[in-house]
Amino acid sequence: MTILEFARGPMLHFALAVFVLGVIWRIVTILFLGFKRYHSEPRNGLVKSLIGGMTVTGSRSWPHKEFIGRTGAGEAIGYGYHIGLFIIVLLGTPHVVFWKNLFGVSAGWWPTLPGGVVHVLSILTVTLLLIVLIRRISHPVLRRLSNFDDYFSWFITFTVMVTGVMAVFGLGGRYETILAWHIISFNVLLIWFPFGKLMHAFFIFPTRAVVGYLQSRKGAAT
Amino acid sequence: MTQSDNNRSSQPTIGQVLDERGVSRRRFMKFCTAMASLMAMPPMMTSALAQNLRQARRPSVIYMPFQECTGCLESLTRSFSPSIENLLFDTISLDYNHTLFAAAGTAAEAARHEAMEANWGEYILIVDGSIPQGAGGVYGTSAGESFVDQLRHAADGAAAILCVGTCASFGGIPYANPNPTGAVPVSEIIHDRPIINVSGCPPIPAVMTGTIVHYLTTGGVPDLDKYGRPSVFYGQSIHDRCYRRRFYDEGKFAKSFDDEGARNGWCLYELGCRGPTTYNACATVKWNEGTSFPIESGHGCIGCSEPNFWDQGGFYEPVTSKLFEDRGQIGGAAAAGVALGAASAYAASRRKKKRSETAGEEESS
Amino acid sequence: MSTTTQTYSTASVDMPDESRQAHAMKSFAQDFGAVSALQIEACIHCGMCADACHYFLATEDPKYTPILKVEPFKQAYKRESSAFAPFYRLLGLKKEVSADELQEWQELLFDSCNMCGRCSLICPMGIDIATLIENARRAMFEAGLAPDELYQRAREQADSGQPEKSEEGYSDRIAAIGREHGIDIPIDRDSAEVLACVPRTDLEQYPEAVVALAKTLKHLGADYTFRSESLVAENYGYYAGSRDWQRKISMRIIDQAREIGAKLVLVPECGHAYTALRWQAAELAGEELPFRVRHVTEFLAEQVADGRLRLNQVDDEATAFHDPCQLVRKGGVMDAPRTLMRELGVNLEELPNKKGFSFCCAGGGGVNDIERARPLRYRAQELKLREVDGTGAKRFLTSCSDCRLAFTDASEHFDWDKRPESLLELVAANIKE
Repeated sequence: MTILEFARGPMLHFALAVFVLGVIWRIVTILFLGFKRYHSEPRNGLVKSLIGGMTVTGSRSWPHKEFIGRTGAGEAIGYGYHIGLFIIVLLGTPHVVFWKNLFGVSAGWWPTLPGGVVHVLSILTVTLLLIVLIRRISHPVLRRLSNFDDYFSWFITFTVMVTGVMAVFGLGGRYETILAWHIISFNVLLIWFPFGKLMHAFFIFPTRAVVGYLQSRKGAAT
Repeated sequence: MTQSDNNRSSQPTIGQVLDERGVSRRRFMKFCTAMASLMAMPPMMTSALAQNLRQARRPSVIYMPFQECTGCLESLTRSFSPSIENLLFDTISLDYNHTLFAAAGTAAEAARHEAMEANWGEYILIVDGSIPQGAGGVYGTSAGESFVDQLRHAADGAAAILCVGTCASFGGIPYANPNPTGAVPVSEIIHDRPIINVSGCPPIPAVMTGTIVHYLTTGGVPDLDKYGRPSVFYGQSIHDRCYRRRFYDEGKFAKSFDDEGARNGWCLYELGCRGPTTYNACATVKWNEGTSFPIESGHGCIGCSEPNFWDQGGFYEPVTSKLFEDRGQIGGAAAAGVALGAASAYAASRRKKKRSETAGEEESS
Repeated sequence: MSTTTQTYSTASVDMPDESRQAHAMKSFAQDFGAVSALQIEACIHCGMCADACHYFLATEDPKYTPILKVEPFKQAYKRESSAFAPFYRLLGLKKEVSADELQEWQELLFDSCNMCGRCSLICPMGIDIATLIENARRAMFEAGLAPDELYQRAREQADSGQPEKSEEGYSDRIAAIGREHGIDIPIDRDSAEVLACVPRTDLEQYPEAVVALAKTLKHLGADYTFRSESLVAENYGYYAGSRDWQRKISMRIIDQAREIGAKLVLVPECGHAYTALRWQAAELAGEELPFRVRHVTEFLAEQVADGRLRLNQVDDEATAFHDPCQLVRKGGVMDAPRTLMRELGVNLEELPNKKGFSFCCAGGGGVNDIERARPLRYRAQELKLREVDGTGAKRFLTSCSDCRLAFTDASEHFDWDKRPESLLELVAANIKE
């Protein structure tokens, strides 16, 4: 078995199983911890509160103008590499065919971007990820908050990105070897996903919705 | 140059053979120019190559077919005549090949043993096909001898072994899952002789010739890649040299074999082309006297010169696709996740209770 | 005692460390519902909450990062209730929160946090950090690690209804205020539509505010009463983090309101009292309450809207208004004070950080009561004072006596040219007869 076969064969299979198991496990545990009933007289009714929850789910994506002066740079960097990652992962041809194959869909409507655009974006994203790390190390608050989870989650995302770029530009070895390492690092990311902060992908919207609902119920600032 | 001069002194030089057959200098130089360019030599090296080749002793070649389909031999012999490849095949002393031999049975075997003895330690052994080792090797026998034994014996007297085709190089189709005959490539049986893999299903004739020319002119094994293939022919991927590469870079892909993209000759990546992971000279040397190659004919590369090419998923699934069929286990994982989640929450509430009790006890004590 | 040493709550100085842990865990575990769990899990350590916190902005010290204040409790959650809790425990990945760690966190959770909730607004993940801190404070209380001032006052209030013993009881005090100002203040009537209560701060520092409340209610002809059993609006149980005492203190008011058949409990100008009564009392009681709870500005704004209360126009002096964090960020009382100011014709110069984004007075959450927190509090308050100066306002209004107290103290400390005034007092002084 070649390393590439291992990467996209048994290891990918295992990683997907761990990913699915872990993510569901973690989410279900939280749900089963139970929701309280609230007894206080609500300021806004159920419908209005639910709308509030949905509004906050969207509105928190953009900082309030009162905060933007201090958080703008951080948000810009964050947005930058997230958008980069999403475009590359969702519109880069090798990725699109990977998803189609994985999910078993033919989806003729799924567009792909020219390789050149994806290449440029990849390099920008890698650069932004480096800035993210530098910022995490140098910013006093971030340094104080950061733990293994933060650094490892960064590291594995960065590794996936860098091996991807190397594969595309034919750097560091033969394509299938680098491709194998790209897939292996993606597999590691999948395996790590449920255990660390990468889970924020699943938590971000429910958390916002819940806080939006509760605040709207009180008519308080969101 | 260790084994060349004195060992092969009984044989005429290639130059002598060519002169004998009336091959013109012009035609020979054309051949050498082609070979030099194939091996990526600078143009001024051509005359040196020609000189070396003329001076080389005519080699004795034992060609052993094992578990194979004869496709490789077809490829090598069916090229248009008079081809430059033919030229070399006419030149070498093919002392044994039971497919091409006029002789058969005992006579052929006797000829082989004779040739081997006469050139013991000097001949080039060309192996075609994988070697079945299952059930004591009974899946492949010839003249009462198993292929395994034949190979071991023939290899003992060989100066070098040339594995022609993917079967001899990497096991090929017989080696594919579930490999009922226990087939293996030469390299798994023979460890003490230089082995040059010329993979492909079949390999490109010019590559085959080029490898032999290289061996003859330098008397040594060429620079090999990690799969034992001559780097000069297998150094670049099909994808990197493909004339459709620009469509890949532009993001233009054929989505099916009969769509607009396919008619426009766009990249076949999404249709499973193995170009990116396949290393061979198809895109540059091409087939049938440089006529075309599979991608040019509108079909993706199937990666036939790579190890295990038969087990890389469907030929129409892209190179990044998953290599497992079963989705049930993922579904199982999801179900397990729900169960474990419920159990964890239950355990957490139990611990919560326990904590309360412990704290309560301490309070009262 | 130096300002940095930790204090144990008086009754628990001798509590063994293991016991502190057990109690902290027990308390925090109670809060691990799905909502808290989701919020604890969601943090991505982006550090933005620091940019919302007046303590961080004033000091630039990363230890004041809001989410860091609940870090030990995040750990505890991961050990106790998270999906992978067994692995964390088995592999020792998350250490049990130690008593030392808890002590270290006392300053962070109490001295340097007003539970003002500005951080909850900035969080891109939507984590309500202030509520997590509330939960953490409860755990600290159970571990005997609430600052002693808060502990003492909470216990006293739970026992006697009055956070501190005073020479004259509070019911005598309020009666005396009524006599001094020649206004009838109804106490301990057997039945009334409205149950009113009063901040102890007003009783002690701002009797005019008590008078203003009485005067306004009298003008409106409200059928109301104070009850000596439940006179104090503040809830020190909430400050100190004692779930039981907070409940006990709230239940006093609830029981009194039930007893007199009140339809409305009127919360005076006090922010935390509003949060405690309006939103938390019913949850702690575990049932819906048979009366409404309104902040006095809400109540008066309703009266204005209904035309029952009409006000005279005040002078056109430029005025800044401080939105008490508990009212806007936690309570939802956003527009009522502005309705009143509009009716008064106040020349309002809004602060850059207004309504939900208002900077806290830095005295809330019991910080006013923690003596050693004073120097840090002044630093945090400077931000706000500068912001008020920036508007060019000459008058500075608010509608929370705790905020008012904090700003009064700060203006003395900084020799500031403004004194915080009560919106209620301004209303009472300008009632159109």
